[in-house]
Amino acid sequence: MQKKVACSFPDEVLEHVFSFIQSDKDRNAVSMVCKSWYEIERWCRRKIFIGNCYAVSPRMVIRRFPKVRSIELKGKPHFADFNLVPDGWGGYVLPWIAEMAGAYPWLEEIRLKRMVVTDECLELIAKSFKNFKVLVLFSCEGFSTDGLAAIAASCMNLRELDLRDSDVDDLGGHWLSHFPETYTSLVSLNSSCLGSDEVSLSALERLVGRCTNLRTLRLNRAVPLDKIANILGRAPQLVDFGTGTYGADLQSDVFSSLAGAFSSCKELRSLSGFWDVVPAYLPAIYPVCSRLTSLNLSYVTIQSPDLVKLLRHCPSLQRLLVLDYIEDSGLEALSSSCKDLQELRVFPSDPFGEEPNVSLTEQGLVSVCLACPKLQSVLYFCRRMSNVALVTIAQNCPNLTRFRLCIIEPRTADFLTLEPLDVGFGAIVEHCKDLRRLSLSGLLTDRVFEYIGRYAKKLEMLSVAFAGESDLGLHHVLSGCESLRKLEIRDCPFGDKALLANAAKLETMRSLWMSSCAVSFGACKLLGQKMPRLNVEVIDESGPPDSRPDSCPVDKLYIYRSVAGPRFDMPPFVWTMDEDSALQVS
Amino acid sequence: MPNMEFQLGLALPTPSIIKGFDLNNLGLDHPKDMCGLEARNKPPRCFGDKSKRSFEQAFGNFEAECKTKTLLLLWSGQPNEEEDHNDQKKRTFSTIDDRNDAEEVDQVVGWPPIKTWRKKIFQQQQHRVGRIGNNRVADKENGSRSIYVKVKMEGVAITRKVDIRLYHSYQTLTNSLITLFAKDKKCADDDYTRYILTYQDKEGDWLIAGDIPWQSFIRSVQRLKIVRNWG
Repeated sequence: MQKKVACSFPDEVLEHVFSFIQSDKDRNAVSMVCKSWYEIERWCRRKIFIGNCYAVSPRMVIRRFPKVRSIELKGKPHFADFNLVPDGWGGYVLPWIAEMAGAYPWLEEIRLKRMVVTDECLELIAKSFKNFKVLVLFSCEGFSTDGLAAIAASCMNLRELDLRDSDVDDLGGHWLSHFPETYTSLVSLNSSCLGSDEVSLSALERLVGRCTNLRTLRLNRAVPLDKIANILGRAPQLVDFGTGTYGADLQSDVFSSLAGAFSSCKELRSLSGFWDVVPAYLPAIYPVCSRLTSLNLSYVTIQSPDLVKLLRHCPSLQRLLVLDYIEDSGLEALSSSCKDLQELRVFPSDPFGEEPNVSLTEQGLVSVCLACPKLQSVLYFCRRMSNVALVTIAQNCPNLTRFRLCIIEPRTADFLTLEPLDVGFGAIVEHCKDLRRLSLSGLLTDRVFEYIGRYAKKLEMLSVAFAGESDLGLHHVLSGCESLRKLEIRDCPFGDKALLANAAKLETMRSLWMSSCAVSFGACKLLGQKMPRLNVEVIDESGPPDSRPDSCPVDKLYIYRSVAGPRFDMPPFVWTMDEDSALQVS
Repeated sequence: MPNMEFQLGLALPTPSIIKGFDLNNLGLDHPKDMCGLEARNKPPRCFGDKSKRSFEQAFGNFEAECKTKTLLLLWSGQPNEEEDHNDQKKRTFSTIDDRNDAEEVDQVVGWPPIKTWRKKIFQQQQHRVGRIGNNRVADKENGSRSIYVKVKMEGVAITRKVDIRLYHSYQTLTNSLITLFAKDKKCADDDYTRYILTYQDKEGDWLIAGDIPWQSFIRSVQRLKIVRNWG
């Protein structure tokens, strides 16, 4: 039998070839070819993405990939954004930083999402990684500006500091002055989430002035409008700018210097911020509007006519975030001005009011979908919807990859026919063949899940609330959606049957969240017992679930695949169902 | 359709990737644990069901067994014996949860799905509107001095809110209101001189806007109403 010569290239050549392969999926595929490729690949993998920090342990990662330079970790489940995950649940990054401090002295990039980061972590990062360049803390919490000061003081090669959406204990703006006067490497700074009234303006201005490579600067609300001109004057090369407060008494000299500053920013493509807008100051940005591709007006509480006036100046817009003050008429105007629109997010200005306070309906979204053929990503809050509107959207926007619709009142039917919205969402999944993310709302029966299971073959993430009638709904999704990675469900009548019947499917997914459903404690125990590579965690703040009968439904359930076994940093209200739990007397 | 539920326990049409991994045949068949398997597929008492299922069916066997819940959900609508979708819009959910702030008493936890920090911004504005009980704002904390007042136009369902600090005269205010409500007016009325702007002052009286100086007006106005002028 003749053996084929597997590969006669020296390792260095293979390594060089592999260096062109950046995507994780391709890297994983490369490592499965043969043992020698596995070995070579693991020594030259520089970038790691871990979608669930509990799926693997730091030691295991370090053991396999000894030379990592960039790591991305995600912690809490997505529903933590909406207060469904109690405080103290977990997602601590300290164990990771502690291990990496020793193992990866040349680590350059840390990107975290929904994790608990402490000042101690930040100080450890500052101390341990001499070539540290990128820190992104997306929706993180647990740290203060003191920790940021440590980063600023020590990381001479820092390029990017992005705190987007994080909950930071802002002790005032002095942390900015911890950047040494010799420090000039900053390329991107996003401190828009900082909430203190104090900010060290002079430190900020000096920092901006000496960092000539600065491309992204997103200020926080404390920075007043009359300082913008000065800051922009020092950074005319900015590509992405977020203002602080954009309101003040109208003064013509302030206005003209503001307008002048904006017009000298020839590279500016993205604007955000705009807290407390005074409409009279908006025309100051007109000089840059024709080049703008991204505009975040989601804090702008001005009415539709003023919004439309601004948007008419932005024909190149690809991405728009806006409040529902824009109304249907404003969206119609948008659809005629901004033909290149790819992403639209419309947030509710009064989500908890019982009566609508703006004239925004399904019509607004329909008019955009009819006129903007490049639309790919939609997030839309409204109070009514119809099947016919959804079908129109589906037929006119087959390129949608993300479609998230939130009809504010749960279980709202088609307002025209009073039927469920099954057919409408069915059209979305049928026509939008590349749909990766879907959020459902409104009145929905099991039928919508039948459509989803049948058509949504590329769907990776599904969010479901107040929908469905029986386990059949969940079964359709788990058995039909081949690409499903994340499934999050709340307040649906899904119980044990579909979950147990599709237990193996759960190992092919990153995670499943179910809260206020009908999954029994007994089923959770069974899953935990039979599926050793799944962590089955029950979250229940009302007491130990085994103090109630097994048939009682659990409050919240989070199931995720893991090679690290059950975690040991659980708070008292989280119980893990492992192999031993079935033996416990209930 | 209801029969499908029971078919689920037997040969399930699983896709070729995942074969025969049905844990339904293990463990849970023990009679002691069954406790009404069908009941498990029905929603517990906790939330109301607006689908075709009758309200009685929505009650499982959970009431007797599961008493320990810190979350109490009150149903503030009418039971849905048949398809009665007309009531749907009026129904609201009330949640009483000791852990939440008072401002969240009337809301389902985590719904609508808006990030916490965004909610804070909205709630700041709503609180400003509701504080002192008369829709006025005097928020000096972050330097904003917005004054939001509700504006209702006769014959229009939507009540809007405007920040009157954005205007410096009656003319600019009325111009803006005209533009704002232009699309809402009925086709029959197309002459604006037939509308007058009225406002409610601090004493609760409704007066015609325009008589007092602008600065006094903005200190006094609580609400605005655009009414048809028949005179």
